[in-house]
Amino acid sequence: MATTIPFTLITPTKVIFEGDAELVIAVTTEGEEGILPKHAPFLSALRPGVLRANVVEAGASRRLELATGEGFMQALPERVTVLVDRALGFEEVDISQARQEQSEASARQKAAGADGAAFAREQAAIDFAAAKLRLTGHQ
Amino acid sequence: MASVKDLRERIASLKNTQQITKAMKQVAAAKIRRAETARAQARPYADALGEMLRDLVLAVGSVDHPFMKPGRSGVPPGAVLMAADKGLAGAFNSNVVRAGELYRGEHPQAVFYTVGIKARNAVRRMGQPDHATWPLGARAKIDTARDVAQRVADDFAAGKICEIVLISPKIVTRISQRPELRRLIPIVATEVAGETAPGGHRGAVEFSPSPEFVLSRLLPKYLEFTIFSAMLETDAAFFAAQLLAMSNATDNAGKLIDELTIAMNNARQAAITKELLEIVGGAEALSG
Repeated sequence: MATTIPFTLITPTKVIFEGDAELVIAVTTEGEEGILPKHAPFLSALRPGVLRANVVEAGASRRLELATGEGFMQALPERVTVLVDRALGFEEVDISQARQEQSEASARQKAAGADGAAFAREQAAIDFAAAKLRLTGHQ
Repeated sequence: MASVKDLRERIASLKNTQQITKAMKQVAAAKIRRAETARAQARPYADALGEMLRDLVLAVGSVDHPFMKPGRSGVPPGAVLMAADKGLAGAFNSNVVRAGELYRGEHPQAVFYTVGIKARNAVRRMGQPDHATWPLGARAKIDTARDVAQRVADDFAAGKICEIVLISPKIVTRISQRPELRRLIPIVATEVAGETAPGGHRGAVEFSPSPEFVLSRLLPKYLEFTIFSAMLETDAAFFAAQLLAMSNATDNAGKLIDELTIAMNNARQAAITKELLEIVGGAEALSG
């Protein structure tokens, strides 16, 4: 059996997952980052994207895939903690709503123009909508 | 002296009121449990966020982020005033409003932002009819908190306000709350990092891409989450205050009902006695 590491995925309203993982892959601002057990201490900001993890439950390995909002990932030798605004599973995604959010956020981003903060905010909304679509295989 | 009929009507009306206050008390008790669960569910996030922030502040050393520096001088401070959407909770809302008025007394130019309809109404009465306001309950609290945080952070960044304070109810014990004022921005590094001794640092931590960058992402989230958890606390505190207020109201109605029932019985007995005396007096007059 592969080695595992305690992994927690937390949103402000709920602990989404708490258990053991063999591998955690999240989309950081620098690109996808995979964390295996015994990783060096590491802290990074996450972009909205699809978070994937191989988790072990009751001795069986299972794939965990979620569309996540902005957040942070902290890897320590003894645990991995991911904090995100939101985390949605496959069955929680409303595809037409995600499409609509994406186009609305794009429009708002165009309107915002050069305003850096507003631009970044809408980019996050676009990315989150895209993550939801990617999770459900629609993009 | 009130007539038996009047008293009977007052008692009936009081019993109705008592039923309502009793129902509101039970509803408040159920809602406290829900609000407390929501607070408990937010705690893991708070703990993890605090830990990351401490690591970052210790790693960065001197922090160069707008949120951690004093704001523009010469502009007024901003205050987020937080109360409930509804009343019938004793002095709960008026206590917070009074704290807001005190703050305004010290900073007459203060720009108010309000969360909760009762706070909104109070600030409108203070003479800021078109300030930024959000209800406490209408939407998911985390979304409201995000909007509030963005608005105050934008105003701070734009140099409209020089600092941001939060005035919100704090739970002291299960049944008592008091308003608390705390500074949201600028964030003081030593306050954040304070709890860990210098030796408590985990040593070499790799930050991707840099601790400064991660910190610049984390500070807005910290602001957002602080507002969110204050909203959860306001919610829980409100229902605790309402539970107490409605419990007292139910007790008081009960006492009044008892007093009025005695008064009604006395009045009825007095009427019966009077009638008997009249009959006896009449009979004696006839036989005499």
